[in-house]
Amino acid sequence: MDTTSEILLKELARAVVEMDEEGAVAAACRAIELGMDPQIAISEGLSAGMRKVGELYERGEYFVPEILICSDAMYAAIDVLEPHIKVSPARRPVRVILGVIEGDIHDLGKNIVKIMLEAAGFEVEDLGRDVKAESFVRAARETGSGIIGLSTLMSTTMDNMAKVVQGLREAGLRKNFQIMIGGGPTSPAFAREIGADGHGANATEAVELAESLAGRLPCLKTG
Amino acid sequence: MSEDRMTPKERFQAFLSGKPMDRFLCVPLILNHAARISGVKVSEYNRDGRVMAECHIRAYRRYGHDLITIFSDTAITAEAMGSELHYPEDDVPRLERPAVTDAADLSRLVRATPADGRLPVYLEAIRTAASAVGDEVPVACCFMAPFSVAAMLRGVDMLARDLYRNKPLAHHLLSLSLEVCKDFADAIIDAGGIPIVGDPVATGSILGERQFREFVLPYLQELHAHIARRGVPPLLHICGQTIRILDAMIESGAALLSLDDISMAEARDRAGDKVALMGNVRPAQTLLRGSPEDVLAEVRSLCSIGRECKSGFILGSGCEVPIGTPPENLEAMLAGVREYGRLS
Repeated sequence: MDTTSEILLKELARAVVEMDEEGAVAAACRAIELGMDPQIAISEGLSAGMRKVGELYERGEYFVPEILICSDAMYAAIDVLEPHIKVSPARRPVRVILGVIEGDIHDLGKNIVKIMLEAAGFEVEDLGRDVKAESFVRAARETGSGIIGLSTLMSTTMDNMAKVVQGLREAGLRKNFQIMIGGGPTSPAFAREIGADGHGANATEAVELAESLAGRLPCLKTG
Repeated sequence: MSEDRMTPKERFQAFLSGKPMDRFLCVPLILNHAARISGVKVSEYNRDGRVMAECHIRAYRRYGHDLITIFSDTAITAEAMGSELHYPEDDVPRLERPAVTDAADLSRLVRATPADGRLPVYLEAIRTAASAVGDEVPVACCFMAPFSVAAMLRGVDMLARDLYRNKPLAHHLLSLSLEVCKDFADAIIDAGGIPIVGDPVATGSILGERQFREFVLPYLQELHAHIARRGVPPLLHICGQTIRILDAMIESGAALLSLDDISMAEARDRAGDKVALMGNVRPAQTLLRGSPEDVLAEVRSLCSIGRECKSGFILGSGCEVPIGTPPENLEAMLAGVREYGRLS
């Protein structure tokens, strides 16, 4: 890779880490002008920056406000780059169906997991908050295979997570999906108890978990 | 098992005045669970002060805990100021439409009084409970601190962005919320209740210490000073992980910190003789999903830590007692404090 491209990738990453939305958009425009592959600009520029943001969060230097503003910069630059991506079916990303389960009002944690998963190259289908078990099953049927991420912050709604696992089983879809759970009151023991495949305690763990679960998916290249 | 020799009210007064007590106070944060064990839907409980009070009286008769805690949901203050909520039939209401989506909305924002929205429901619940059982058990009322009110006026994620992008807007919302909070604290005290300041959005799970000191602490300090001027000790509850913001919480002027996902031993060491501590039987893992034996084991270890708290300790739940908590686990919590929390 030539020096100009390297500088540009570093600039994309820097702009994300430093919450510089204008800088990120300007660098994305420059990448298009220079004919850089937009997918590389995203994965090696913006996503690299967002990974660094994840590290800063884990070290207690960044918190939720910083993550949100960094991700705003990332998405603003992606909006510039995305129309220029030439779709190649060979590199289909792993799909993650994400949602906060029925009866739960909190979606902040889920939104952060979504940001970090997208930065890591997953294609996220966000079902939002207060999602019924049937909606997860319907989305799973449409997607065919992938990862399902369930989160909750409220102990009152934990049992509804088991309903999703059960619903997938009854629909004959369980084997096509890896299920991960997270959120305040959940634990690895609870994940085992309800028959999920893994538990992530925070956004960083959720991404690592998704990467390892993607390797277990049937008949799917993880890219 | 040893028997109680004081009523909750006598015990609470002894705690506040530093006099001898028979055992630690035991305050599981029974909120919406009071509706569940009374066979009342949460949507009826949170809109009728008499119903709310009856549920809490029933819960008190059943468990014999040391403080009735009137509360339902975190958005009531913001609702009185203009945010719209959605009411599920049997769960807590959630923020549906924040009052402030852009700066133009600020002019429509109401400086709510304790007569607005559902705030009177809480006040009626306090008065009803206090007149029925107030001679044996104190009645408290949780209400939201300015930062959590502002978050429910704006949406948590938007307020989080405002901390960088629009500080004047954040401070405007916080200042207005503070005035509403002060008035409501006064109304709680006038109704015969003890105000418990709750600031769930200001948790260390969301904010760093620097942000806490800039956007949360000054407003908490003013609210706590206001409550203290009424001759009432300010009590502060912040859920989630709070170890990084604990020092700032200690500086807030609260007489007692109710803590959730934190090592009580570490909190005890940091609090020293500056503030009393309350907590922190784990709500989900232990109270909801554990066995009575699990509860007893946790109570035992917390009581031994509590004995070394220089400014006092109350056995509590880390956060709200989950709605569906098995009653035998709360009974175990009370049995445990009588067994392991004996003081004289």
